[in-house]
Amino acid sequence: MTPPIVQCRAVSYRYPGQLAALADIDVEIQEGDFVLLGGASGSGKSTLCRLLNGLIPHLHGGELTGDLRVAGHAISSTPPHVMSSSVGLLLQRAEAHVVATTVGRDIAWGLAAHGLTRITIEQRVRDVAHLLDLTHLLQRAPHTLSGGELQRVVLAGVLALQPRLLVLDEPFAFLDAPAAAQLRAILSELHRTGMTIIVAEHRLEQVVATATRMVLLHAGRIVADAAPRAVLTHELSQWGLEMPPLVQLARTARLDAVPLTIEEAVAAGIELPPTQATVAVGPTPPIVEWDDVWFARDTAPILRGLNLASTAGTTVALLGANGAGKTTVLQHANGLLRPQRGTVRVMRRAVGRRPVAELARDVGLVMQQPARMLVAPTVREELALGPRFLRHNDPAWSDTIIERFQLRELLDRVPQRLSAGEQRRVALAAILVSRPRALLLDEPTVGQDAAGRRALHEQIAACVADDTAVLLATHDTEWAFTLPARWAVLVDGQIVADAQPSIVCRQADVLARAHLGLPAAEALRQCMATMEGRHA
Amino acid sequence: MLDVGVYKGSDAFDPRSKALVYVLGSTMVLLATHRLEFLALAVVQSNLLLVLQLGGRWLALVRTILPTLALFCVVTWLSAGGGAALSATLRLLMVITAGLLFFATTPPEELGDALVASGLSPQVAFLFEGTVRFVPTLGRLVHEVREALVSRGLRFDGLYLLRNGPLLLAPVLISALHFADDLAEALEARGFGSPHRTPLRDYRFQLRDWLLMATTSVLALMCWFIFQ
Repeated sequence: MTPPIVQCRAVSYRYPGQLAALADIDVEIQEGDFVLLGGASGSGKSTLCRLLNGLIPHLHGGELTGDLRVAGHAISSTPPHVMSSSVGLLLQRAEAHVVATTVGRDIAWGLAAHGLTRITIEQRVRDVAHLLDLTHLLQRAPHTLSGGELQRVVLAGVLALQPRLLVLDEPFAFLDAPAAAQLRAILSELHRTGMTIIVAEHRLEQVVATATRMVLLHAGRIVADAAPRAVLTHELSQWGLEMPPLVQLARTARLDAVPLTIEEAVAAGIELPPTQATVAVGPTPPIVEWDDVWFARDTAPILRGLNLASTAGTTVALLGANGAGKTTVLQHANGLLRPQRGTVRVMRRAVGRRPVAELARDVGLVMQQPARMLVAPTVREELALGPRFLRHNDPAWSDTIIERFQLRELLDRVPQRLSAGEQRRVALAAILVSRPRALLLDEPTVGQDAAGRRALHEQIAACVADDTAVLLATHDTEWAFTLPARWAVLVDGQIVADAQPSIVCRQADVLARAHLGLPAAEALRQCMATMEGRHA
Repeated sequence: MLDVGVYKGSDAFDPRSKALVYVLGSTMVLLATHRLEFLALAVVQSNLLLVLQLGGRWLALVRTILPTLALFCVVTWLSAGGGAALSATLRLLMVITAGLLFFATTPPEELGDALVASGLSPQVAFLFEGTVRFVPTLGRLVHEVREALVSRGLRFDGLYLLRNGPLLLAPVLISALHFADDLAEALEARGFGSPHRTPLRDYRFQLRDWLLMATTSVLALMCWFIFQ
């Protein structure tokens, strides 16, 4: 019998000067397994991924105890560059992997670093480019690619080394629906050819149907290890995880079935809840209006006559594929970008050449990476910064925000040293403390686990209750579907649908053009309706 | 900001000869003392920009760095007088232009490969390669941080840059450190520590490389003797 590709016995690890990140990990992974490594933020998933190819402890230092062997190598004595030909690791941020200026050279980079001959390098680049449908992109500069293409380029660079074990750390975080589906298909194909795959992910629905085994981590310990269906019979919220939507629907319908695919959900006979209630939109005043806005970058058109309005006390989810121009729309609202044609109005006044600093009084923008917004030495000073520059100081409101975002115990901490979730909370509070009339959120759910996504839900609801206009750009339809929001779908620089989610979800062509996935409940509803139609 | 991935005439010369010419050219700019010397160097640079069709990118770069150049000029003016300020600002602009001419015609990985072919270890060669490769990335990072802070009501235009400029430092430095961490992980995960690296091309000095270096050296010596 072949020995397991991963043998992990009583492994514990702590980063230098920190508490234990992993404790008493005992796990064996067989050649050919497809493992979904689940866990909330901070559960130890990324640490375990980095341990499997030796980045930990060789690059990060820290204290590693126990016995860990991967692909026959003892991790504690094998450096990462040796491990890299046996274990391929794909990190969460694809752009960090890109080291060369063309796709072809980037795929070849690892092979060249291993000292392979030019003939071998050329052959492997060609093979892997063909496998991942990248042949036509070999001469392109990586920074000109879409998120999905870039992800495939990075994967190609890893696969070119022909590893036995492929480890992916939250690979779906930045992908839109078609790119995620393509990555799932690639992983299935690689698994079919015998490769061992480990995918670390907190959004279990992304790969649960493909995985053969599910290992859950919580606070650095393994809390479940079995076939996915068996693990999903547990209550996952105790470990900070959300059930895959279809399983949640089955539970709501009090069924014992654990459906992982739409077909299984239909077969299980899930009784769906009524369609999402229509959001009542009263005659609220518009806060930000985009009126026939055109914008091009380097002659490439991004917005082409875009019309949209964000009104007080409502939420609009601006949906679209990666690279569709969602951020561009947001940046027009606070003046970071100016329309080349058309008008943007804030509080019924044209933006014109008004400085961003002036617009910031009415329009607050929280960027995708909140750490870039944090400058002060303490959270307290961070919260005071905006009101000071915008001359809008209201101590009572600041206190309300501190309470609402539960920041009291963080006030004297250094913002840049907080966890990603805490940083997002502080950044959002730092914007809201200036009491803008419109709040713009750019991809707020990226990298957020279940708790973070729930908290975001509550924060948005509180803003709406304060009569703030909320506009959030996202490609996460599953989450957006849970919001009482209007959906505006951006395709080819125009809003092609602007309506209630249930109405937009029935427009299959719009969703396809926008590269959006259907939320599970709607997908199931439509599948059942189609079947009923056939029977009738 | 430099436009990565678009390299004009990158095959014409060996990256090493271009690097040597770049160092020599920058040294000449820094040591120049006479107006005619500046003029001669400016003429050479403008001709190269025209021949290599880099005028548009040069203008875009100057537009981006104009506030910084202006601030530099004002500060130098206040501390050393008008003549010194103009001379120092012009010098800075010309060194930056020399950088553009080099970086825009040399893919970083070719520079790295050429250095490996010269006998440098892959790790040391990557120090040079990485410096060239990630300058634009860091430029983008600064731009993003600036946008994030402007969105919060901070101003960096004109003299505001003097007052608020230091606020950029913390997020830029921390983001740069995070980026460096991510990059280090990605490099190690792809085999960076390996002692052997295969250059993807053969690099040999050809007659034109020797001619390029000889011409530049002669020009440098002429400038030195005429103007000193």
